[in-house]
Amino acid sequence: MVGAAIAYYLARGGMTDCVLVEADYLSSGATGRCGGGIRQQWSTEANTRLAIESVREFSTLEEELDADIEFLQGGYLVLAYTDEDVAQFEKNVGLQQGLGLDVAILTPDEIVERVVPELNTDGVRMATYCPSDASANPFLTTQAYADAARRLGVEIELFTPVTRVLTDGGKVTGVETSRGTISAPLVVNVAGSHSVPIAATAGVDLPITPCRRQILVTEPLERFFHPMIISFSFGIYFRQAKHGSVIGGFGDPDEPAGFNQTSSLEFLTTMSAKLAFLMPRLRSVKVVRQWGGLYDLTPDAQPLLGETDGVEGFFQANGFSGHGFMVAPKVAMLVAQAVAGTEPDLDISRLNARRFTDGPVTTDKSVV
Amino acid sequence: MRIREHPILDFQKGPLVEFEHDGRKLEGHEGESIAAALHAAGVRVLRHSIRLNRPRGFFCAIGRCSSCLMTVDGVPNVMTCVTALKAGMRVETQTGKGTIPDVRFTEAPSDPDYPRDLGSVPLAIVGAGPAGLSAAVAAGRLGVECVVLDENPVPGGQLIKQTHMFFGSKEHHARVRGIDIGEILLKEIEDLPVSVMTGTTVLGLYPGKVLALLRNGRLHRLTADSVILATGASENMLAFPNGDLPGIYGAGAVQTLMNVDGVAPGKRVLMVGAGNIGLIVSYQLLQAGVEVAAVVEGLPEIGGYHVHAAKVRRAGVPVMTSHTLLHAVGTDRVEGAIISEIDGDWRPIEGTEIKLEVDTICLAVGLTPNCELASQLGCDEAYVAELGGRVAIHDTDLETTVPGVYVAGDASGIEEASTAMLEGRLAGLSAAAKLLTRPDADELTRLRIEVEEGLRALRAGPFGEHPRAGKQKMVELARSCGGDQ
Repeated sequence: MVGAAIAYYLARGGMTDCVLVEADYLSSGATGRCGGGIRQQWSTEANTRLAIESVREFSTLEEELDADIEFLQGGYLVLAYTDEDVAQFEKNVGLQQGLGLDVAILTPDEIVERVVPELNTDGVRMATYCPSDASANPFLTTQAYADAARRLGVEIELFTPVTRVLTDGGKVTGVETSRGTISAPLVVNVAGSHSVPIAATAGVDLPITPCRRQILVTEPLERFFHPMIISFSFGIYFRQAKHGSVIGGFGDPDEPAGFNQTSSLEFLTTMSAKLAFLMPRLRSVKVVRQWGGLYDLTPDAQPLLGETDGVEGFFQANGFSGHGFMVAPKVAMLVAQAVAGTEPDLDISRLNARRFTDGPVTTDKSVV
Repeated sequence: MRIREHPILDFQKGPLVEFEHDGRKLEGHEGESIAAALHAAGVRVLRHSIRLNRPRGFFCAIGRCSSCLMTVDGVPNVMTCVTALKAGMRVETQTGKGTIPDVRFTEAPSDPDYPRDLGSVPLAIVGAGPAGLSAAVAAGRLGVECVVLDENPVPGGQLIKQTHMFFGSKEHHARVRGIDIGEILLKEIEDLPVSVMTGTTVLGLYPGKVLALLRNGRLHRLTADSVILATGASENMLAFPNGDLPGIYGAGAVQTLMNVDGVAPGKRVLMVGAGNIGLIVSYQLLQAGVEVAAVVEGLPEIGGYHVHAAKVRRAGVPVMTSHTLLHAVGTDRVEGAIISEIDGDWRPIEGTEIKLEVDTICLAVGLTPNCELASQLGCDEAYVAELGGRVAIHDTDLETTVPGVYVAGDASGIEEASTAMLEGRLAGLSAAAKLLTRPDADELTRLRIEVEEGLRALRAGPFGEHPRAGKQKMVELARSCGGDQ
């Protein structure tokens, strides 16, 4: 989705001589495999600001792109189970409220009375709740960006893997694909985990580790709860999409690094048990599908954005570490501004890959 | 609309029981599908679609297409075409998505024995149709212990509704009716180390050849050294205006309804497609006392055997080649069909439209292989038009690109039941050859040559042109994947 969005914002800004090259089909990578949540509750100021800006973009996107993306502001309910959770969440809420975000701390009773009557709050210490957090359909959103980009003159080449990034004297000159070479003085690498082998062809080493995450989806039903429900310590996230299906997953801390995207029976049973514990009525709901996808993890779980040191014109927009979809509209806009050489609305230099060689980095505590 | 007299079949039905449909009392036979019982009572609309609120009936009758979802005893989205009727059931027309049920399953996923572990078997065969049962016979005779898994209540796959006699030579069960072949195969496995688990849906196939099974509403785990996927095929749909009206059925569904459930699909039928299935089902409709208005076929020539076409024509049914269905007529069920002649580029010729008064439209427009399990496991796949769609790439042993996983029958490419049985045997032999510690090489070679000769004979001639071309492509694809050295 970030790739399609960058192409759209470049074209909207006047740079219509732009080609979007995709190895497979639209949303075939991490976007089409993600949970579709859009959260503003983060633990660092920079991330929270970026997320607030992204929700603002998302909320007007259907009108701007003239398409239904199943955008729904159902809120996010973040459950705390441990002392560490409670301490961290209290700090987070102070920071988030200071940035103008409507977020509150709820007791277990308040959760059941005000937000999700069906939730089993056994062991829950408290929760933070932000009603303007949202969700959208990743496929529809990517398609909407791609269609809008096409209307502005962007060419989209599907089923066309990039085999090599071409450089000459420290400058990028284009890409070689399975269907021929494309000359370009500016190249943006937005290939998720596959950004690593692509960058390597230009001698660039990206600090990204691919790692599988799994997810499942149930039959569609009439709405019976509104927010995305997540917990970092219990290890879960799930929501009821606008089309009625419950969709959710969790990250296995023992998952080995690699490009494996298969699904496992252990995930299906563990996830079912977690869902049945948190919301007992879900026991009678049928799972219809499960699948795997890749997180492109960086050491600080923050994306790599901006031009690459040593290769002029070669930009990175990858390493989103499992939360690319939710910040995609704003990040794509900022990257497009950087590529076009205009002043970005928000400073993204802190997210350049060079941060790992420059000194210590701050890690966000709010990563599932 | 129950069929009382039939020249071939004698319907064995369960006792008559009462059930409730939208608050009114109806009767049906215990054990038949809910959809069949409703159809017999004249009910065709089973649900209304989520977005456009369109009336929907069933289409495939084998639990594939989700067109027949209803709310049963408070549980929404129940596939009524494969759910057995029980006395006192509360069946409701479902509108929209359905609401989360109040009922609770007795099993909690947090139970310590969830999922129940069934241990491991040398060979698991998915599908108890002609290919799967034949695989079990071949492997079982060589002493390989195997389990055959099937979601249906009775084994036999699609054979249980095929009342026509098979062609081919005697070894291929020629002049035997499909319904009897299943019985023969089941008899053959009686004394073999083979167990058949019906009512068991294979939900998933995971790395390490771990199968997730749904049986009696409970999740089970089974691990296998080898797996044969004999999962069959699904009916193709044709896109045309009003194509979702109740009364438009796949040919397999029509066969299920009239040959298994003993329920007439309607009074007057338009058959679309003059391949073997379209022609045979047309004849079966006539045998069941149903009128067939016409058989339309887009190609300038019929696709099936002429002997089948002749039987239908003799009964006075026009077989109209270079004709297509333009659209169905009706508001909440089929009330007619508009057909027209088409030119060489498949464009309707203006002025040739005819309106047929029919209450049922039967689509016999081909099948697509079911390859989901192979796909989930990560077997390499390819789209091969001659084989009916996407199939797992397999070598001449029918082994996929995942060692120890085989495909056979329609799942490996659409053909006839006779070829499915031989492919099943071939897959059974291939699996056994690898599983046995000391296989009898001479015996295996002899058996294999016999099967290969049979397949060659069945695929000879003009009707075998597509499968021959498809299987040839498959050999090349398998080679490029490193199989078949």
